[in-house]
Amino acid sequence: MKLLKKPPLRVLLFSLLAMLAVAVTGTAQKQPQNVEVRIRAILASNQSDEFDASLKGLEKQLRVLKYRSYRLLNDESQNIPRNGNKVFEIPGGRSLMVAPQEFQDNRIALQVRLTGGQKPLLDTTVRIANKGNFILGGPPHEGGVLVLSISAAMQ
Amino acid sequence: MELTDRELVQQCQAGEMSAFQELVSRYHQKVYMVIFGLLRNREDALEVAQETFFRAYRKISGFQGGSSFYTWIYRIAVNLAIDAQRRQKRNPLDFRESMDGLLESQGEAARDPFADFHDKELREKLTSAINDLTPEHKAVIVLRTIEGLSYKDIGEILGCSEGTVMSRLHYARKKLQDKLSAFL
Amino acid sequence: MNGCEDKIASIELWLDGELSGAESESLRVHMAACAGCSEARRRLEKLQSTLTGVLLSEAQRVDFMPFWRAVQLRVNEKRPWYQDALDWMRGVLPASRVAWVVPAVIVLLLAGVSLESYWRGGAGRNAFATVESIDAYGRNVALLREYDTKTTVIWLYQDQEGENEAAEETAPSGPAF
Repeated sequence: MKLLKKPPLRVLLFSLLAMLAVAVTGTAQKQPQNVEVRIRAILASNQSDEFDASLKGLEKQLRVLKYRSYRLLNDESQNIPRNGNKVFEIPGGRSLMVAPQEFQDNRIALQVRLTGGQKPLLDTTVRIANKGNFILGGPPHEGGVLVLSISAAMQ
Repeated sequence: MELTDRELVQQCQAGEMSAFQELVSRYHQKVYMVIFGLLRNREDALEVAQETFFRAYRKISGFQGGSSFYTWIYRIAVNLAIDAQRRQKRNPLDFRESMDGLLESQGEAARDPFADFHDKELREKLTSAINDLTPEHKAVIVLRTIEGLSYKDIGEILGCSEGTVMSRLHYARKKLQDKLSAFL
Repeated sequence: MNGCEDKIASIELWLDGELSGAESESLRVHMAACAGCSEARRRLEKLQSTLTGVLLSEAQRVDFMPFWRAVQLRVNEKRPWYQDALDWMRGVLPASRVAWVVPAVIVLLLAGVSLESYWRGGAGRNAFATVESIDAYGRNVALLREYDTKTTVIWLYQDQEGENEAAEETAPSGPAF
């Protein structure tokens, strides 16, 4: 065991603490290269009282919409590079284009375009928390309405 | 032929307990002197002196001979004594009681009873005056009583320059002389 | 005596054996001739010898064998694991030298705040999404924020030609768009 002199050991400890803080801060502010976007297409209706068990994690949010029945139609995830975009096929002949824009303070800005056939239905830019989501709904579908849960997580 | 400190340290590092015993034998009283000078309490000083050699034993494998063994052991002793001083809960009254006992035990019948009384009073005043010094000044004045310790050695022990040792000694001696002028 | 003030420091150095041979001799000659310096030397020597006497006589009371046995006991004693850690901490962080702990604590707090912001809105939690821009191409759109679940909902109503609200119980057979 080497007999370390006191002053260099204290300096070393303090330097390690400082480096740790910088590393953590740096990690927190680091710009991720990819975003994993997950789109869950859900049919909300009043035709029954069934709640799809696979939507358990979204139950509290979906109940906000006041429909009696929720059924998962499609669940798709894609990795999208920053400043890139991907198109998700949505039931009912629709598509959803998602383009991650920027990352700041652990939040992701997503540009989202909902298209019905060739016609744009909605363009929006939404800033969500990392691993958070928002709900886009309203288009009628199969006796109910289509509800999309759009979530994103930095990679 | 008597082994040098360096040779004894090497034997210790090789696991020879008898070599460590010899080192303790050589330095235990001087180490105790330094610690007692700083703490002024017999029980505490013994405790810290024993802890000093225990720590030295634990660290001896890492001793690389950059300094002499004695400056190394005194450094451990001074650091432990300063730590103990901070934790010392004894009030000044307890200090006087333990020092009075010490001075009583030293009093032998002297040729001149008045001289003996005068010396005893000087000792009491001296120990009280040293108590009023800062730990740094106390350390230099006590270490200077150890025969054979140069300013360079004291500087190594305390982690300061020879110039600092010199100025602290000068200051400490001036303070003590001012307080003890009637007795010197 | 006043003229000898500057000699006091030299006398101390001489007393401590820190003067060279020539300087020592020169001072010795001076002290033999100067009453003031001679007196200063006497006082310093008395001070030193008294202190040495007190400490030496005390140290000579410490017998080696009992002392050595006590040291051996410590060497052989099994210490609790935390004792070594405490001793190490005391050595590294003496009470009088913790000035660097203050900036270290500040750094740790900053690190903590950064970590907290990094994990803010972590898995499962949905902090409010912020709608920065929206274009529904002439259709009615509603924004809903539900505070209990921190849910942001963008609700797109059908266009005028469809005439059917999404909230009706009977929905159109096909998509309205």
